[in-house]
Amino acid sequence: MTDYGMVIDLERCIGCNACAVSCSQENNVSLDKQWNRILTEGGDAMDTPEGSYPENGRDGTLSMNHLPLACQHCDNAPCVKVCPVNATYKRDDGIVEIDYDKCMGCRYCMSACPYNARVFNFDDPKTLPTDGTGNVEERKQGVVEKCTFCSHRVKEDLDPACTVACPADARIFGDLDDEESTASRYIEKYETEQLLDELETDPNTYYIRGEMSPGRTRSGNELEGTEKKAAGNPNGVATDGGDGQ
Amino acid sequence: MSSAPDAGVVVPRFGTRGKAWLALLGVLIVAGLGAWAYQLQQGLVVTGMDNIFSWGLYIMLFVLFIGLSAGGLIISSAPKFFHSKRYDSLAALGVLLSLGCIVVAGLLILPDLGSPSRVTGFLTSPDPRSPMVWDFGIVLLYGLFNVGYLWLLTRRDLAKMGSRLALGVADTPAGRERDRKRAFWAAAVAMPLAVGLHSVTGWIFATQIGRGDWFNPLVAPMFIMKALVSGLALLLVTSILVDRFTRFRFPRELVPELGKLLGIFVAVHVVYLVAAERLPHAWAAHFEFWSITSAFLVGDTIHFWLWTVIGGVLPIALLAVPSLRRRIKAVFVASVAAIVGILFEGVYLIFTGYHDVNIDAAPGVTTGTGYTGLEADIWATTGSYTPTIVELLIAVGLIAVGALIVTLGLRFVPIQPDDRTPVSAGRDDSTATTAGPVATDGGRRPDGGADGEVTGDA
Ligand code: SF4
Ligand code: SF4
Repeated sequence: MTDYGMVIDLERCIGCNACAVSCSQENNVSLDKQWNRILTEGGDAMDTPEGSYPENGRDGTLSMNHLPLACQHCDNAPCVKVCPVNATYKRDDGIVEIDYDKCMGCRYCMSACPYNARVFNFDDPKTLPTDGTGNVEERKQGVVEKCTFCSHRVKEDLDPACTVACPADARIFGDLDDEESTASRYIEKYETEQLLDELETDPNTYYIRGEMSPGRTRSGNELEGTEKKAAGNPNGVATDGGDGQ
Repeated sequence: MSSAPDAGVVVPRFGTRGKAWLALLGVLIVAGLGAWAYQLQQGLVVTGMDNIFSWGLYIMLFVLFIGLSAGGLIISSAPKFFHSKRYDSLAALGVLLSLGCIVVAGLLILPDLGSPSRVTGFLTSPDPRSPMVWDFGIVLLYGLFNVGYLWLLTRRDLAKMGSRLALGVADTPAGRERDRKRAFWAAAVAMPLAVGLHSVTGWIFATQIGRGDWFNPLVAPMFIMKALVSGLALLLVTSILVDRFTRFRFPRELVPELGKLLGIFVAVHVVYLVAAERLPHAWAAHFEFWSITSAFLVGDTIHFWLWTVIGGVLPIALLAVPSLRRRIKAVFVASVAAIVGILFEGVYLIFTGYHDVNIDAAPGVTTGTGYTGLEADIWATTGSYTPTIVELLIAVGLIAVGALIVTLGLRFVPIQPDDRTPVSAGRDDSTATTAGPVATDGGRRPDGGADGEVTGDA
C-alpha cells in the first residue's frame, strides 16, 4: 500500500516562503488565507529572532528558526473523525481530503484540528487575477479547505508544488510505506519529530531537527518511484531539473 | 363532548396584550429571517467568527438551549417516576417549555452552517464516529419525544374540550388511568434520554484534544448539572410569568420548594463541580498554600466572573435564606441570574477553547476575514470574538420562534390539569373544573377501542 507523507528538514529551511507562495498559486487559494504558513520560531513578529544581541564579544543569545506548517495529514486525524457528513476523509494513500460538494461548513473540523491547518471560506474567494490561479478549481463560500498534498499533482505522478518550489530542498515527499523511499530513509536515519505528538494524531509529516539531511534529490518534478520519474530521466541523472522532458 | 370547552387551557383567547406579544414575536422572527437572508448572501463574514474563533454566538446559545430544555423533564418525569403527584400542575407546562427550547437549539445550528442546504448529509452520509452525528440523533429523538409526551399528558383534556389535537382519543376514566401508567413509563424513558442529550452535547467539546480545556472528562457531567440548573431556573421564570399573565396557577407552596432545589443545584454545580475541576490544576501548578488557594479561587476572565458571581453567588445568597425564597420576586431574580450565569459558562467554555492557538509562533494563523487588499493584515496568534448585529438578530429571531411555540401551546393545549383536588393557588381566579372524570376511581372497563396507542411503544 501507499502512504504518502512529507519530511521537512528544518535545518535546511531558510524561511523564504517560496513553498507558501507556490502553494497559494497552484491551489488557487484566496488571498485572505493560506494553506501553508511559514512560522518564525523566535521573536514576537515574523522573521525576528528571540534573545539579545552580543554586547561583549560572544555573549549574544539570538536565535531564530522557521517552521513551515500545513495540514499534517494525520493518521489518527481528529478532523476526519468529527466530520458529521463524511466530507473530510482519509484516503487509502494517506492523504486527508475534503469533498467540497459534501462539506456543509459546520467548522467542527476546525475545532478538531490541533494545528489550525484548516481555513473556511467566510465569503467568496479573492484571487489575483480574479478568475483564479493554478490548477485547482476555486472553492465556494461556505466550505472548509486545506492542503491536499497537491493530490491533483500526485495523480499525475508529480511532487506537490511546495516540494518542487523549495530552493533549499528542505521538503521531501514520498511513500512512507516504501522503506526505500527517500522520505522513509530520512525518517530512519535522522532525528525527526511529529508536531504535537503528545496528542497522538500521528501525523504523516515529519520534521528533521538537529543534523541536516542532504535534502530532496534534485531530479525533476516527478514523484519518486513512479514510471514517469523513470521516463523523465532515462539515465537516472537530472541535468535540467526535469523541465525539458 | 364536554361541558368545559376551555378546560385547562390557560389562554382561552388572545386579548390585546396577547396579540401585541404575538406581533412582537412576529417582528423579531421576520427580522431574524431578514438577517439570515443577508448572512446567506454575504457569507459568514458578516459574523464575528474567523479561522481561529470558528464557533461563536450560535454555538454558545445552542449549548445554553440544550441545557434549558432539561427543565420540563426534571419536573414532569422525576416526580412521576416516584409516583408523586406533587408537581403534576407543572408537568405539561414543563414539557411544553422543553419542546420550545429543543426546537430553538436545533434551529440554532442552521445559521451556523456555511452551506445549510447540505445539512441533509446528516441523513445521507453520516459518520457514526462524529459526536455531532450523535447529537443530531439525540436532539431529534428528544424533540419528538417531547411532542409525544406532551400529547400523552394532555390528550384526555384535549378530548374533553373537543380539540382536534386529541386525534380521536376519547376522555374516559379508564383511559386517564391507563395514561397515568404510560406517563410513568414515558418518564422512565425520559430520564436516560435527557442524560444522554446533555452528555452527548458535552462530548462534542470534551472529545477535542486540540482546544485546551475542552478535553476534560468533567465536561459531560458539568453539562448535566448545568442543564439541571438552567432548566429548573427557566421553568421557575416561565411559571411565574405565565401565572402572572394567564389563567395558569402556579401553586404558591411550590415556589420556596423549587427555589430550594434550584439553590442546591447551583451549589453543586458552581461550588462543588467548579472546585473539583480547578483544584487539581491549581494544586499542581503552585507551591505555597496561599498561592494554591488563590489560583483555585480567583478566576481569570470576565466570563468566569459573570458565571460564578451572577450565576453562583447571587442565586445561592437569595435562595439560601428561607424567608427570602418564600418571596416570588427573590426566586425570580435568582432564577434569571442562574440562567445568565449558565449562559456565560457556555461563553467561557468556547473562549477557553479558542483563545490560545497550540502552535502560536508569528505570524500565526490566517483569519480568513477582514481582507481589504494586498496590504491587509490577515494574521492573528490568538483568538478573539465579538458577536455582530447580524448574529444577534438571527439568534433573537430563533429564540422568538421558541417563545411562539410556548405561546401557542398555552393557547391550544390544556396545560393546567383540571381533574385534581384544587391546588392552593396564589391567586383565586377560578377556572372551570367541573365534569372532569376523577382519575383515581380505578375504574377499569376494558374500553381499549378508544385508545390508538399501546403501552409497548413507550
Ligand atoms: S493536520 Fe489538522 S486538518 Fe490535517 S489531518 Fe491533521 S487534524 Fe486534519
Ligand atoms: S466543515 Fe465541512 S469538512 Fe469540516 S466537519 Fe463540517 S462538514 Fe466536515
